[in-house]
Amino acid sequence: MNKINKKQQVWLVTSWEFMHFFKWKQEIISKLILLAIGLIIMLWQYVKDDQLTIYTVAVPASITQFQNSGQFEFFPSHESFDILKQQLAEEDGWDAILSEAPAIESVKQLTIYSKDKQSWLRDLKQTLSQQYTLDYASSLGLAEEQLAVLNQAAIFENKYLDDTIKSESSPGKSTAIAMLVILAVGIFTSFGQLFVSITGEKQQRVTEQLYACMSPQTWIDGKIFGQMLHAIKAMLTMIIFAMLVYAFTTVVIENQMVDFSFIDWSLLPWLIPFAISGVYLCTAFMAAIAAAIDDPNHSAKTSIMLLPLLPMILALITMDSPSGWALSFLSYFPLTAFAAMPVKMALIDLPLWQPLLSLSLTLVVCFWMRTSAGNLFKMGMSMYGKEPSLKDMVMSMLRKN
Amino acid sequence: MELLVNNIKKCYAKVTAIKELSFKVKQGEIFALLGPNGAGKSSLVRMLTGFTSPDSGEISLTIDGEKHTSIPSYTLGYLPEDRGLYPEKTVSKNLLYFAQLNGVDKKTALQQAKYWLERFDLLDRIDDQLKTLSKGNQQKVQLITAVIHQPKWVILDEPFSGLDPINQEKVVIFLSELKAQGMTVILSAHQMAMVEKLADRMLLMNLGEAVLYGSLEEIQQQVGSTTQLTAQFAESIASDQLEQLFSEADYCLVDHKTLSLNLSAQQSINGALSKITALGNLTSLHSKKMDLHQLYLNAIANHGALINE
Repeated sequence: MNKINKKQQVWLVTSWEFMHFFKWKQEIISKLILLAIGLIIMLWQYVKDDQLTIYTVAVPASITQFQNSGQFEFFPSHESFDILKQQLAEEDGWDAILSEAPAIESVKQLTIYSKDKQSWLRDLKQTLSQQYTLDYASSLGLAEEQLAVLNQAAIFENKYLDDTIKSESSPGKSTAIAMLVILAVGIFTSFGQLFVSITGEKQQRVTEQLYACMSPQTWIDGKIFGQMLHAIKAMLTMIIFAMLVYAFTTVVIENQMVDFSFIDWSLLPWLIPFAISGVYLCTAFMAAIAAAIDDPNHSAKTSIMLLPLLPMILALITMDSPSGWALSFLSYFPLTAFAAMPVKMALIDLPLWQPLLSLSLTLVVCFWMRTSAGNLFKMGMSMYGKEPSLKDMVMSMLRKN
Repeated sequence: MELLVNNIKKCYAKVTAIKELSFKVKQGEIFALLGPNGAGKSSLVRMLTGFTSPDSGEISLTIDGEKHTSIPSYTLGYLPEDRGLYPEKTVSKNLLYFAQLNGVDKKTALQQAKYWLERFDLLDRIDDQLKTLSKGNQQKVQLITAVIHQPKWVILDEPFSGLDPINQEKVVIFLSELKAQGMTVILSAHQMAMVEKLADRMLLMNLGEAVLYGSLEEIQQQVGSTTQLTAQFAESIASDQLEQLFSEADYCLVDHKTLSLNLSAQQSINGALSKITALGNLTSLHSKKMDLHQLYLNAIANHGALINE
């Protein structure tokens, strides 16, 4: 007789479930792509620092002459415009030439000619615009400081009596939004795969064979853990991908240094347990619903599986009033706390007991949800082809195991 | 170690699946559950496996001094009626997964898988996806799944279905080997010839009730009819004469010239023969022991008639 304990069985189901959707070839290709993007960014940064390109711009003598900047050198020219255009077309000729049309209501009308569309043309425009503004300010007798005041005559800042609200310059809001988006990615991943996995096994009639080896609870626990691991993998991939895209945009396109200060990294120790418990809770809920679906093509219960996205949507809607009653309620309501409390924490300073209480409530409801999923699967198995009604499902979820 | 089933009853909504059923299965025997569709066999099997519980009555099995109300999963091998495996996975992956879930280490599981696949001439398909196998071969893989972990108790719900006669014979040999290895096999089947060859004892069910129970000999005694005579006449048999000579339950007209007669252990062939010859010119006469198939048909017909009364 071979006795196997439940933990070993849960681990076997978890790894089977994970590997069922884990395709080595696909994973290696996608990770290599991410690695390649990362290498491109590093290489770009290196090359850019090593060889700073200077662009030469021909400026007809009739036009105001400009001061050279680090990126652009301006050369006054007495040649005709046609000759300048010919020189522009040559291999070692100008990078750009300028031509000026009559001003309209004192606004200069300039055209920049170049061989083709290049990203540095935007910087050239900006450089020229700045110089024209300074020239105009100077012609009005304005000093550079006066011009700065004209550009921004007043700076506003909000101050609240509630001193727990974090400064607007803090990266709280972007951190909160990023977390909600990443959670949604994880939950969407679980939704798709769990639905296919559980209803698929029912359709393939494997469940009764599995039921003979282990308890419904063991099976559902393995399913939840396996899909949770997939969700976490999807979330990590999403984080890496988003960071690489941001770095690519900043370094390669905008020629700036990478700066992740828009994320409040000090929240990370809280975000991780909330995110993991949230993904677990949602996966357990979806497993419970999928376990009660007999025929996915004709069941009306599929749409219920989308309910776990609701906490993220509610947290997003209520985040503009972080100390308001709505977000406060959602932060302690066990079914929404995993999404709402991190948002609240990102936006206002909270005493330690508040996130601790919220996390504890979430963990309690996680345990209840996985037990309910096990009960629902058992009920579905004993009904042989019939689907339990919503009333049956609620009764089963409320029943003590 | 005996499996005792005592006065169990099971209802689903308004349908009574099992009405007061009692029997026992002895360790190491092959026990057959027989009965027409809807007799309650699958409901009974699901109670034996612990998937469902009886509404009343008791199932008990004592293993190492511990009493169980069904066959515990760690000692059970099961081939469900509603069966299937993972079609996208290979044969070996399917077998190893279920073996490991039943506590067998990977190395032993692979050895067992190879052993049984070879017995079923499927070893060369071990790395093929299950869905690429024929239906019959998939059925054989499913049978191996039920026993790969060498359970003490094996429940096979219709193991012969979907198999050709050659493979049915292979399953008979397979089941005999399980018995030889000390496993107790409970099987539900409709193939009477196979059951007759294999089963030590059997339970015939109809409409949730036990109709016949025991070994083949015991059942033949219970029925009271052990010999079947088939007589063929030159002319048509006069039915009024037939009714005078035999009771209705004992005979059956195969066609207008052929008569089939069931004789109890107490009735002599000579006595019957004198009555048969009175019916007309006999052209041929055959005698044989009543087989399980005939016993089954008679028992179900009699039970049905009894219920209708």
